[in-house]
Amino acid sequence: MRSRTFQRTEFYLLLVIIVFSTVLTIINPSFLTVENLFDLVKSSSGMAILAMGVFVVLLSGGIDVSFTAVAIAGQYIAVNTLIATGIDNLLLAFAVSCAVGMALGAINAVFISVLNLPTLITTLGTLSLFHGALLEFVGTKSINTGGLPNCFKTFSSLNILSFTRADGTTYGLSVFVLFFIAVVLISWVILRFSVLGRGIYAIGGNFTAAKRSGLNIHLIQFFIYMYVGFLAGIMGVMHLSLIRYSNPNYIVGTELSVIAAVVIGGARITGGTGSIIGTILGVVMIVILEKNLVLIGLSSYWQQFFIGLIIIVGVSVTYIQNRIRSGRSALTAAGT
Amino acid sequence: MSDYYLEAKNISKTYVGVQALSDVSLSIRSGEVHCLVGENGSGKSTLIKVIGGVVQPDSGRIVIRGREYQRLQAIDAIREGIEIIYQDLSLYPNLNVAENIAFNQTIESNSRVVNWKNVRLIAQKALEELGESLDLTERVENLSMSQKQIVAICRAHTQDCKLLVMDEPTSALTREEVDHLFSIVEKLRKTGVAVLFVSHKLSEVFEIAENVTILRDGRKVGEFKASELDNDTLIYHMTGQKIRYTPYEYDPQGSQPPALEVRNLSKAGQFQDISFKLAAGEILGITGLVGSGRTELALAIFGLNKPDSGTILIDGKEVQIRSPQEATRYGIGYLPEDRLNQGLFESQSIGDNIIVTIITRLLNKLGIIDRTSKSNAIGKWISDLKIKTPTSEASASSLSGGNQQRVVLAKWLATDPKIFILDGPTIGIDIGSKRNIHQIIRDLASRGIAIVIISDEIPEVLRNCNRVLIMMSGRIVKEYEEVSEVDEKDVVAVFSHDQPRGAVK
Repeated sequence: MRSRTFQRTEFYLLLVIIVFSTVLTIINPSFLTVENLFDLVKSSSGMAILAMGVFVVLLSGGIDVSFTAVAIAGQYIAVNTLIATGIDNLLLAFAVSCAVGMALGAINAVFISVLNLPTLITTLGTLSLFHGALLEFVGTKSINTGGLPNCFKTFSSLNILSFTRADGTTYGLSVFVLFFIAVVLISWVILRFSVLGRGIYAIGGNFTAAKRSGLNIHLIQFFIYMYVGFLAGIMGVMHLSLIRYSNPNYIVGTELSVIAAVVIGGARITGGTGSIIGTILGVVMIVILEKNLVLIGLSSYWQQFFIGLIIIVGVSVTYIQNRIRSGRSALTAAGT
Repeated sequence: MSDYYLEAKNISKTYVGVQALSDVSLSIRSGEVHCLVGENGSGKSTLIKVIGGVVQPDSGRIVIRGREYQRLQAIDAIREGIEIIYQDLSLYPNLNVAENIAFNQTIESNSRVVNWKNVRLIAQKALEELGESLDLTERVENLSMSQKQIVAICRAHTQDCKLLVMDEPTSALTREEVDHLFSIVEKLRKTGVAVLFVSHKLSEVFEIAENVTILRDGRKVGEFKASELDNDTLIYHMTGQKIRYTPYEYDPQGSQPPALEVRNLSKAGQFQDISFKLAAGEILGITGLVGSGRTELALAIFGLNKPDSGTILIDGKEVQIRSPQEATRYGIGYLPEDRLNQGLFESQSIGDNIIVTIITRLLNKLGIIDRTSKSNAIGKWISDLKIKTPTSEASASSLSGGNQQRVVLAKWLATDPKIFILDGPTIGIDIGSKRNIHQIIRDLASRGIAIVIISDEIPEVLRNCNRVLIMMSGRIVKEYEEVSEVDEKDVVAVFSHDQPRGAVK
C-alpha cells in the first residue's frame, strides 16, 4: 500500500509538472532548452538539499523551521573564517559551515529531545535566536564578489558537462548536481537500510512504541536535527558560491518554500510517511513555479500566495485522509 | 515449586500514598493460560508492569525459571522471554507488516544495517508458525484491529516468547475475531508458552483460562481453577458484593401514542425495514452482533445518519430529524458507543462537560452564563448520579470509566430527554459501576422516559429491558415481548441461525 499511495502522489505531481512545463514551453520556447534546465538544476540544488533535511525531520514527526538561519550562519561564519585566516580553501569552508550547522542542530536537539519541547515552537524560536546571534556577534556587513575568496568562484564555475554555444561561449552542468545526488543517495541509504533510519520512521509512526522497543530516541533525534544542520551547512556554501555574494540576511525567509516542496511531495506533516522521490518532485514543482510565474503573466507576489496555498492544501489532504481512515474504522467498529 | 515459569512473590507497590498492590503473588506454569481479572483500579496494570520489569515493586521478588530477581529490569524480562502486548499494541501504522513483526528483533540484533531479506523471513516464519497469513507488504494502518493484533502477537513470537502477557486484548474485537484470537493463544500454549490474559469479560475468562487470579483493591482475593468458578462467584470475588438482577417491570400507562415509533426505516447496506414502537417508561433492548446495523439505526434516529426511506414518529406525529440539534429539540438524547471520542471533552472540567448541552438555558439577560444556575445544575447532576469527584472543576479525564460514563449520562439527562438512546452504556466499565449505571437507567424509565439500550452483551439487555429486539444483518429477526423467561442461550441460538453475514443488499 505504501508504494501504491506514494506512486499516486508522485504520479499526479509528475503530471502537473509535465503539464506546467509544456505550457511554459509554449509561452516561452527557451524554457525547455538544455541550457535553461542546467541552470535550473544549478540554482535549485541547494534548495533540494535543504528539502532532504526537512523531509527527514517531517518523517520523524517533527518540524524544523530554523534551517535557513542555520544555513546562513554556516555560510557567513565560513566565509568570514576564510577571509580572516587568509586560507582560500573550499574544503575548509564546507567544514566550518557544516560544523556550525551541526552545532546549531545539536542545540535544537537539546531543546527537543532532552527538554521535550514541541518542535515547531522550538525551531521558530531558534530561527530568530540563531539569526539574531549571527547578526549581533558575527556581523551584518555583506561580502561582495570582490572580497570573496577565489575558491567559491572556482567552485561555482566548475562544470561536469560542458557545451559550446554557436558564439563560442560555453555553458554546462554545474558540479552542484553532484552534491545534490550525493545527499539524496546518503539520505536514501540511511532511511532505507540503517536501523537508525528505520528508527526515524518508527518514532514518526508511533513514538510510544518506539520508546518501548528500546530504540535510543535521544540518539535518533540528535541525529535528525544535526543532519538537517549539516545539510544546511552544505547549502550555505553552495548558495554563496552560486550568487557570489554573502549577505547575512539572505536565505532566512525561504523556509516556507522548502517546507511547501516537501509537503507537496507527499510527506505527511503528522510524521511517518513520505518519499524521497516525492520530495524531489516537490522541489522541482516549487522551483518551476517560483521562477516562471512571471513568464505566464503573474506578478511574483503570487509566489507567496501559492506557497501558502500549497502548504494549506497539502496539510488538509493529510488530515482529510486521516479523517476518512478513522471514520472508516469507526464505522467498522460500529459494524458497517 | 520450580515447575513454575514465573513466580511473583508478595509484591507490594505504593504510588504517592496509594497502595496499588499489597502482598500479591502470582504463579504461572509454561503451557498454562492464566487469567488476571479485577475491576478498574484493582492493580492489574501495575502487576503486569512489575512482571515486565517496567515498574519496580517496593517489596517482593520475581522468580523466573527458578532464578530470583530482586530488581527485575525491563531488559531482564525481555531476555527471559516475557513479552507484553499492551492494549494499544505498540505497532507502527506507517510501516508494513513484515517490518512491524521483525522490528524488535532488528533492534536487538544490535546491527546498524537492516537486512530486508531477513526481515521478510522472520515475519514469514512467525506468521507460518502461528498458522496465519497476512500480506507482508501491507501497511499496518490499513489492517483491521484483529489483524493488527496478529501482527503484535507475531512480533512477540519472534522474540522467543516464553510468557505472553496480553492486556485486555479482546476489547475491540468481534466475536469471531475473539474466537480466532483464542485459537492462536491455544496454539501458543501448546508449544509451551505461558499466557497471562487480562480481561474484563467474564465469559472469556471461563472459555480460555485454566487458572484465574482475582485482584480487588490491590489485594489478591485468591487463585482459582476456572472450572471451580461460576459467574456469580467470580463477580462476588471481584466486587466483594453479591449482585442479583431482577428484571425490569414495565407498567403500561393508559393509551397514549408511543413516545417513539419507527416505520419501515431503511438505509442501503446498513439496516432494512426497521419498525418498532417505544412507549414512555419502557426500556427497549436492541442487541445483535457487531455488524447488525444497530448503531447505524440509532444514529439515524438521532439525525446523524440520513435513512433512505421510512418514517419516524414522535408522540404519534411524523417528524424529520436531520441533525442532532433537531433530535434534541424533539426530546431525544443519545449516549454514544464511543464515549471518549464522541461524548466527553476529556480535558475540560466535569462541570463544563455536564452543562455543555444546556448552555443556552443558563444564559442571563446579557447573554452571559449565569454562575449560580450553572453551579446549581452541575451540583444537582453530580449528586443525582453520585459522580465521585472532589470537585466539579477537575478535568473529566481524571475520572474512572464508570464516573466518566455518568458525566456523559448527566450531560444528556440535563437536556431533559423524553427518549433516551444508550449505545453500549457500560462498555469498558467495571462490574460495580455497571450495576449503578443500570440502576440509574431503570430509575429514569420509571420516571417516564422512554429508553433504548443498545448492547452486544446479551445479559445486559435481558436483565434491564422489558422488551428486546434482535437485529441481524440490518434486520429485526426476533422480538421478545417478555424477557423474564428468556435465557441467554436462546438468544445465542438465534444468532447461530444467522444467514451468512452481509446479507443486506
